[in-house]
Amino acid sequence: MIYIDNLRKEFKKTVKEPGIKGSVKSLFNPKKEIVKAVDGISFDVPKGEILGFIGPNGAGKSTVIKMLTGILTPTDGKCEINGQIPYENRKKYVKEIGVVFGQRTQLWWDLALRETYAVLKEIYEVPDKEYHERMEFLNEVLDLDSFITSPVRTLSLGQRMRADIAASMLHNPKVLFLDEPTIGLDVVVKDNIRKAIQKINAEQGTTVILTTHDLSDIELLCKRIVMIDKGKLVYDGQINNLKHKFGQMRELAFEMKDEGDISALDYASAFNFDEDDLSVKCKGVQVTVRFNSHKASVQDILKYTLGKIDVRDINVKDADIEEIIRRIYKDGV
Amino acid sequence: MKKFIRTYLPFSKAGLQSSMAYRANFIFFMLGEIFKCFVMFFVWKAVFNSSNGETFMGFTMENMIVYVFISFLTGYLSFSDGAFALGEEIVDGSVTMRLIKPCSFDMCFLFQELGNKVMNYSIMFFPIVLGVEIYRFVATGGVCFNIWYFLLFFVSLQLAYLINFYFNVCYGFLAFFLTNLWGTNLIKNVIVNFLSGATIPLAFMPDALRIVLTYLPFASLSYTPVMIYMEVYTGWEILFSMVLQVFWLAFFVVVSKLLWKSAMKHLCLQGG
Amino acid sequence: MKRAFRLHRIFIAQYLKKLMEYKVDFIVGAVGFLLSQALEILFIGIIFSQIPDLAGWTFNEILFIYGFSLIPKAIDHMFFDNLWMVGYHIVRKGEFDKYLTRPINSLFYVTVEKFQIDAFGELIMGIILITYSLIQIGADIVWYRVLVLLLLVPFAVLIYTAIKIITSAISFWTKQSGHITHMFYMSSDFSKYPVTIYNNFIKVVITFIIPFAFTAYYPASYFLRGENGLFCVLGTILISSLLFVVSILVWNRGVKKYESAGS
Repeated sequence: MIYIDNLRKEFKKTVKEPGIKGSVKSLFNPKKEIVKAVDGISFDVPKGEILGFIGPNGAGKSTVIKMLTGILTPTDGKCEINGQIPYENRKKYVKEIGVVFGQRTQLWWDLALRETYAVLKEIYEVPDKEYHERMEFLNEVLDLDSFITSPVRTLSLGQRMRADIAASMLHNPKVLFLDEPTIGLDVVVKDNIRKAIQKINAEQGTTVILTTHDLSDIELLCKRIVMIDKGKLVYDGQINNLKHKFGQMRELAFEMKDEGDISALDYASAFNFDEDDLSVKCKGVQVTVRFNSHKASVQDILKYTLGKIDVRDINVKDADIEEIIRRIYKDGV
Repeated sequence: MKKFIRTYLPFSKAGLQSSMAYRANFIFFMLGEIFKCFVMFFVWKAVFNSSNGETFMGFTMENMIVYVFISFLTGYLSFSDGAFALGEEIVDGSVTMRLIKPCSFDMCFLFQELGNKVMNYSIMFFPIVLGVEIYRFVATGGVCFNIWYFLLFFVSLQLAYLINFYFNVCYGFLAFFLTNLWGTNLIKNVIVNFLSGATIPLAFMPDALRIVLTYLPFASLSYTPVMIYMEVYTGWEILFSMVLQVFWLAFFVVVSKLLWKSAMKHLCLQGG
Repeated sequence: MKRAFRLHRIFIAQYLKKLMEYKVDFIVGAVGFLLSQALEILFIGIIFSQIPDLAGWTFNEILFIYGFSLIPKAIDHMFFDNLWMVGYHIVRKGEFDKYLTRPINSLFYVTVEKFQIDAFGELIMGIILITYSLIQIGADIVWYRVLVLLLLVPFAVLIYTAIKIITSAISFWTKQSGHITHMFYMSSDFSKYPVTIYNNFIKVVITFIIPFAFTAYYPASYFLRGENGLFCVLGTILISSLLFVVSILVWNRGVKKYESAGS
């Protein structure tokens, strides 16, 4: 369905030195710097999958999505979707995909929603009969009827997002790109949107590429994730495996009664692990012990600690997906 | 005084920096605007070719050309829309952000716009004045530049700008009553340009109308500095017209302060 | 083609609806525009009160040229106004993305999206001036030239549109080019008066480089006098077509160069 092979995108950026002198300098002798936004990424997506595509801000996610949707031409590498190359025959290609950018609407601000769909029907050349069927299905999934006659500018954010998703599904695309479809929405609306995505995927067999910063979107919708950072692929696989692979590091945080007690603790000689498998951070009375749960259990660490000093409060951090990803974003793999 | 400058200088700096960032845009924009002057330049040349006399309604061709360019320059440098935002701020209520800052509303706008003006002056003033003087030198065969008239012109131009600034502050308060500030702004500019002699020189108008317009504040906005530059006004006329400028400046300052006070009362009532 | 008309219809209907909503705004804007044009005409009137003709053209002929110059400008303004937005912010803010995710020509899509109702002011003013000046000129009208003139209007429109396409496409390289569009667009002021009043440099520029002279003076002078028919008529058609082809090429290259903003 989707094949991506060693995809790259470089931008030229003019570097400007500060101040008036810098402006003059850059006017005559602009310094160009090449930024590798996407630096050789490969992965495949089978038909009907919901793929979570994640990474920290500035990782190159949007650039990849823009290349997959035909907006940008890659500097190097290949991508093929439905047997087509997005940037080669753009107009033909985009008929088979739907795109939603959560940050900005693709609807017309002043048009009533119904008119918007009429315009899209013309643009995508959807036959009347099919159009009515699609509208019926989308209305059932996204509940559009309550606001279909209102101009887009009067819609709430949640309504607008539903309207945008419907707009991207009108022509029955084979692949749906959702770039942060739940951004800024409240819990209930998020839940509705997720259910709608699941339903569209289940009933229409639409392949979905989902970019998001909300990891609960990922946990609820996707089995597989692709994670990138600084333009490079850092993880491609099942979410469960991610837990397995990175989840062994756990954290025990506690608060000492007395700041001086720290001298009584010596984890390094007590456990004799590598630095990778055990590290201690201390700040005032707060101590955080990070350790490999395959080598030592929570019980071991607790036992040792409580045996040495008095503790006021203890907190064991669970290895949930959000924690794992936060750690990867922060520290790298 | 020192404190005054320390308070408001940052506004000017911010204004200058933002206009520096868009200086290329400004240059393109200005080139587009100055085309109008060149169209008029050729129209006047053709007019003088087609007419029999040396003068046209009392003006020589050099006069007319100088008029076209200097009134363009004056129009641009005395232009003020710095306080345009005030209207919008009053309508959407964000003007309260100004109330919590320890500075007066008009000075913030004024100093910010002055920063912009530094940019405008550095790009427009010298080339246009130089161009006009070279033209006058070539056309008349002698140096017409008179430093005293030029300095008086410069002072008069600053007065024109300040009048324009406070006039537009007063206009901005209309936002209370008008919903379409943009459309009415267009009409306002058309009318002001007409009444100030920027569209048609006041000298071409019927005597009765011309005399009335000379006393109205609009002539002070553009016609007065241009007439001083062209040395059409002399001696007492200059003194009189500049006193008139000062009068209208004081008038609009007072009116804008009164409007501000009543607007603040209105805001407080709205806020409950 | 049929699809294009259907799309246009939806958007135009929408803008007419909006017009009903903002009636006062529209009237205020139109009054402002008409007033400024009327004052400019008054100025020309004052000039002509002192001279018999301007470079061999009578007052009514000047009015005709002036009036005719407004027609292609108005039509371009009405249908292709969104190009300004491309140069000012659509590209800079990365909003051009949405035009690329649709199975439709991006240039057509950008322009069809907006129908600029304000242009009616120019159109009405142009028609008034043309009608008035023709009534004054009276007997000299040659009717087949009316047809030729009507035929030339779309080509004159194309000159405006092509210049806007090229200058707004510059933003694909520089992120922002609205002010460049402004600069070129304002040079259309030269087309309001007979080309014969300008010096050779400007004549060459507005005939061959930024060919606004073909949007008004050449077609209008052929209509009024019947002179230089071949140059005026064929010139308008050829120059405008050539410029349009160039503009499409520039646009397409620009779209390829487009670097969507944001991460």
